[in-house]
Amino acid sequence: MSGAQLAAPASGWRPRLRLRKTISRAFLFGCLLAVAAGLVLLAALVIDISLDGAGRLFGGPNSGGLPKGWLAPAIPIALLAPIMLGRYLPAGALGPLVGTALARALRRIGAVSLILPWLLIVVWAVYLLLDSRFLGRFASPDPEVAGVYAALIGTFYMMAITAALAFPLGVGAAIYLEEYARQNWFARFIQVNISNLAGVPSIVYGLLGLQLFVRVMELERSVLAGALTMALLVMPIIVVSAQESLRAVPPSMREAAYAVGATRWQVIRHHVLPYAFGGMLTGNILAMSRAIGETAPLIMVGAVAFIAFLPESPTDPFTAMPIQIFNWVRKPQEGFQEIAAAGIVLLLLILLVMNSVAIILRQRTRTRW
Amino acid sequence: MFQPLLSKRIAVTTPEAEPAGLDPQPEPIAALLEGVIEVAPPILHEFPAGTEIALAVRDVSAYYGGFQALDRISLDIPRNKVTALIGPSGCGKSTLLRCFNRMNDLIPTARVSGSIGFGEMDVQDPNVDAVAVRRRIGMVFQKPNPFPKSIYDNVAFGARINGFRGDMDRLVEDALRRAALWDEVNDDLRKNGLSLSGGQQQRLCIARAIAIQPEIILMDEPASALDPIATLKIEDLMRELAEDYTIVVVTHNMQQAARVSDYTAFLLAGEERTGRLVEFGVTSEIFTTPRDQRTEDYITGRYG
Repeated sequence: MSGAQLAAPASGWRPRLRLRKTISRAFLFGCLLAVAAGLVLLAALVIDISLDGAGRLFGGPNSGGLPKGWLAPAIPIALLAPIMLGRYLPAGALGPLVGTALARALRRIGAVSLILPWLLIVVWAVYLLLDSRFLGRFASPDPEVAGVYAALIGTFYMMAITAALAFPLGVGAAIYLEEYARQNWFARFIQVNISNLAGVPSIVYGLLGLQLFVRVMELERSVLAGALTMALLVMPIIVVSAQESLRAVPPSMREAAYAVGATRWQVIRHHVLPYAFGGMLTGNILAMSRAIGETAPLIMVGAVAFIAFLPESPTDPFTAMPIQIFNWVRKPQEGFQEIAAAGIVLLLLILLVMNSVAIILRQRTRTRW
Repeated sequence: MFQPLLSKRIAVTTPEAEPAGLDPQPEPIAALLEGVIEVAPPILHEFPAGTEIALAVRDVSAYYGGFQALDRISLDIPRNKVTALIGPSGCGKSTLLRCFNRMNDLIPTARVSGSIGFGEMDVQDPNVDAVAVRRRIGMVFQKPNPFPKSIYDNVAFGARINGFRGDMDRLVEDALRRAALWDEVNDDLRKNGLSLSGGQQQRLCIARAIAIQPEIILMDEPASALDPIATLKIEDLMRELAEDYTIVVVTHNMQQAARVSDYTAFLLAGEERTGRLVEFGVTSEIFTTPRDQRTEDYITGRYG
């Protein structure tokens, strides 16, 4: 009956439903294609680097390194297979069994099999990493014994100072801009400039750091000079992301707090900041994960490429992961290409961990208003 | 009474219809209107001598940037009564309510003139601290807006920041009892305020307003986001609270105004959307024998 009503549209209307749906499907396909292209490129990059580097990175002291390259195909297979198995097999392939205890049991096994390989891979990788010759050794002219120790510690050292400088400053600026500043032309001017600063090429920050910190402030090629430059680099990103998390706090929360006689600072301190803090932290971690891979400013500021000791104070010379990798890639010997790749894999792993923490934080602190 | 409103419409359209080039200096529309509309003076209520007045509103006009939202509102809000502000959307009743506890201060472009006498002080006096005003004049909002914290902290927050030194547990319990919420939540006060139902959330917001022991509670369409049963609970609550507090409630719902309020003010905005007070009086009289034609049109449903 309803079919009859649907079949006869009123005159004067041309629904062209098929055409509209075809267009819709075409765009869906196009978007899927774009995602697929991105994934393939990413996979190609990871596999290519892992082929070269994983053997060195995870090589134990006695094994002389794992057989080169086997890890690359193993990782995606190990990760994808249980997902496929756990997700689709019990539900789809077990057709007549759906809803029975057997199917449920199989699904549960599937769910476990989904987590188990991940856990195994992580435990195994951490074990190999800690056991690795690569991680615990200083740079060396001999690629066989060269390690990433100084660069790794240098990076962590620099990032810690950067975060300690940039986070309070960036969050403070965001609070001022969002909660205190009057919305006039000057505030808009500052706003536009902060957004623009986030897009300034990092080498420009390097030049600024070279002049300001290395020369004028006479910090020389030190951890502090690098950290200050990095803090400048990430600050706009931190400010913008902190502003966004402040804006995400509904105005009704501020009104509610004002209505019981809170001062502006009490509103910020007890309500706006706590509700926005998760987002701010997430933004900070993401900004740090951008900084950790930045090479250009560190070259300008003069991080040392070859260093056989650890920085002991903020004014000591240092090196960082990207500099070390850059230096290795430049060398002609084949052995250095391998450890450069290993360094890249390590950097990617650190990034992965940082971004995972950011995502988990965001999920855990999300409030549904 | 109704005629001037119509004639204004003609006055507005005529100058716009003429080509701009013909008139070397077209008069601004506002100036034109000034002469054309005779704003009927509002019909006010004479309170018997000795009536305690909680808020004495005198010539309050409100502006958002260049837009005038309220034009010279004057009325007396009696103590320990429920006063309803009614009128169609955009007539400025919420704006007026937010003048009472200086919430308009939070809007950068907002400007208020006139005076609102509250005890010894003038609420709108720039020398009077808005924070101190809000401590004594609480507010409940249209959409329930509990803090994403525990029920206990929701109620205790206002008291804490205002330096309450007494028994906090007692205060929280009292406020929740007065808001008719205690029996529903007393088993777990650590539960998040946002996990309550809409009606419970709104009563939590009322408890939060009561907890700072204000003299006046402003309610901005407190039941408009709630179902009929929750609405009835809020209305009962308003009647009970009127024994101890002065309540001013903005409502779209005329039955609600008739049920719950002792006094009613009817506001109306003209073409230029500036709200004016039309009539203020005892609720039963406003709803049975309104003295202004426009009030009658509104309460019989002839305006939106």
